[in-house]
Amino acid sequence: MKQDTLVWCMVAVTVIAVAAVVALAARNRALGAKKQQSEAELRRQLHTSDSHLHLSRAELQRFRSEQDGTLREAKEAAEENTKAVLKGAASFLQSLAAEQTTLLDSVQRKYGGHAVLSDLLEVNHANAQMARKAQGIAVMCGAPLGRRNRPASVYDVVRSAQGQIRNFHRVSVMQQTALALKASAVAPVALAVAELLDNAASFSQHDAPIEVTFQRAQSNLCIVIDDAGVGMNDEDRQRATELLSGDVVPRLSQLGNQPKFGFPVIGLIARQYGFKVDVTGVSRYGGVRAVVLLPEELWTMEETPPAQEAPVSSILRAEGRSQSGTARTTHGLPKRGARQAPIASVPGPVATPPAPSAPPAPERTGRSSGRSLGAFQRGTLSGRNLDTTSPEGSEDA
Amino acid sequence: MPDEPEQELELTSSLVPLFVITNGRALPPDHEYEHTTLVMAAQDAAATARTLSPEAGQVMALVTEGFLSVAEVAGHTHLPLGIVRILLAQLEEDSLILVRRPIPRAERVDRELVSAVLEGLKNRFGA
Repeated sequence: MKQDTLVWCMVAVTVIAVAAVVALAARNRALGAKKQQSEAELRRQLHTSDSHLHLSRAELQRFRSEQDGTLREAKEAAEENTKAVLKGAASFLQSLAAEQTTLLDSVQRKYGGHAVLSDLLEVNHANAQMARKAQGIAVMCGAPLGRRNRPASVYDVVRSAQGQIRNFHRVSVMQQTALALKASAVAPVALAVAELLDNAASFSQHDAPIEVTFQRAQSNLCIVIDDAGVGMNDEDRQRATELLSGDVVPRLSQLGNQPKFGFPVIGLIARQYGFKVDVTGVSRYGGVRAVVLLPEELWTMEETPPAQEAPVSSILRAEGRSQSGTARTTHGLPKRGARQAPIASVPGPVATPPAPSAPPAPERTGRSSGRSLGAFQRGTLSGRNLDTTSPEGSEDA
Repeated sequence: MPDEPEQELELTSSLVPLFVITNGRALPPDHEYEHTTLVMAAQDAAATARTLSPEAGQVMALVTEGFLSVAEVAGHTHLPLGIVRILLAQLEEDSLILVRRPIPRAERVDRELVSAVLEGLKNRFGA
């Protein structure tokens, strides 16, 4: 009896346990399904928001690049506008400076014998520096450079550049050379050399020398400028090389408050006229060695004799002849005659100098003090330039 | 500005400015190297003359053969007289040339002084 009760109890417990297990399993299954369902749902939501995010990000990117483009365009437009305004002003200044230089030239010749000449020379120096700055600004703004219509020896081109910087007497040109630059290259090379000389002068002590030499390397002519300055570090050198190649053209607004035109200007004209400039060398004084490398298209071997040389050589020839002539005293000493040759070769106020090839006329051997005096007077006058300030005078100088 | 800036500016001034030719040297005093002062190359000048600037060399070439007046040198070189005088001063400093200065002009007697003396004499001796 007692055992039956126990059995029944156990059966009941078992049944209950089985029921509970079944119920729990069912519940568990339901929960799992629900979980999966919600997970899938969440995943889907994540996916959509992800794509939303992606879209917005792309949009943002688009907006940003659009904005950048607009900004760049605006900057370029501003740059162009600034350049256009400056270009006009700089060209005006440039032509005014050139006009003034020509004017000063003739004034210097007019008052050549007067004490005011020394002041005129100083004014001319200041003017030459201004003309260089005006040319630099004009080049930066894309205006054309001034042009010379006559070839000139590279020595004279360097001297012309020398006159365009403040402390020009620190520059010494160590060699004279007959190699000539073609007319089209004269003005740009003079400006480039002037900027390099200015750089050399500003980055060295105020009394340190600056030496210019010329060198021919294969078919190139090099103008070498050595200074005794502080030299450049690697970063400066790299920057300078970029600017001088003309690949990098800085904006006007990037030039700073005290604009450094030098290298950008050189880079622009070097590219435009086809020569190269390098400043990475070290000079023999430990400063910078700048080299302007001119390809053979820009120079010739021809000499360009100065126009005034003709009368000089004809005098010497004539004098040599008169000394070996027959004018001798009875004791065999040469007679001191009136100067013949200078008379013949001193050009009159309007006469052009004789052609260099024309030999002096052989019959000019007699004494003629009248002509001598006349020649002396003409020489004096042309020396003083009182009345011979003809346009030819300033033109052929 | 007219709108034709593309036209290239033609530079007509002389390429080498005069102050570079003189290397910034000042003018000599007025009484030095007058028009009629005579100059001639020194005996041993030929060797050093090669290192001169072309303009100084031109002056040297003119005066190698004999004395020439400053005015004539200026006339032949087509340089302003003042520039020639500066070059000559430099050349004389380097003792490359001999300079023969003109005889100084006799000074004019002060007219007032003479008349005052005359006046005095008249007063003293009665004319």
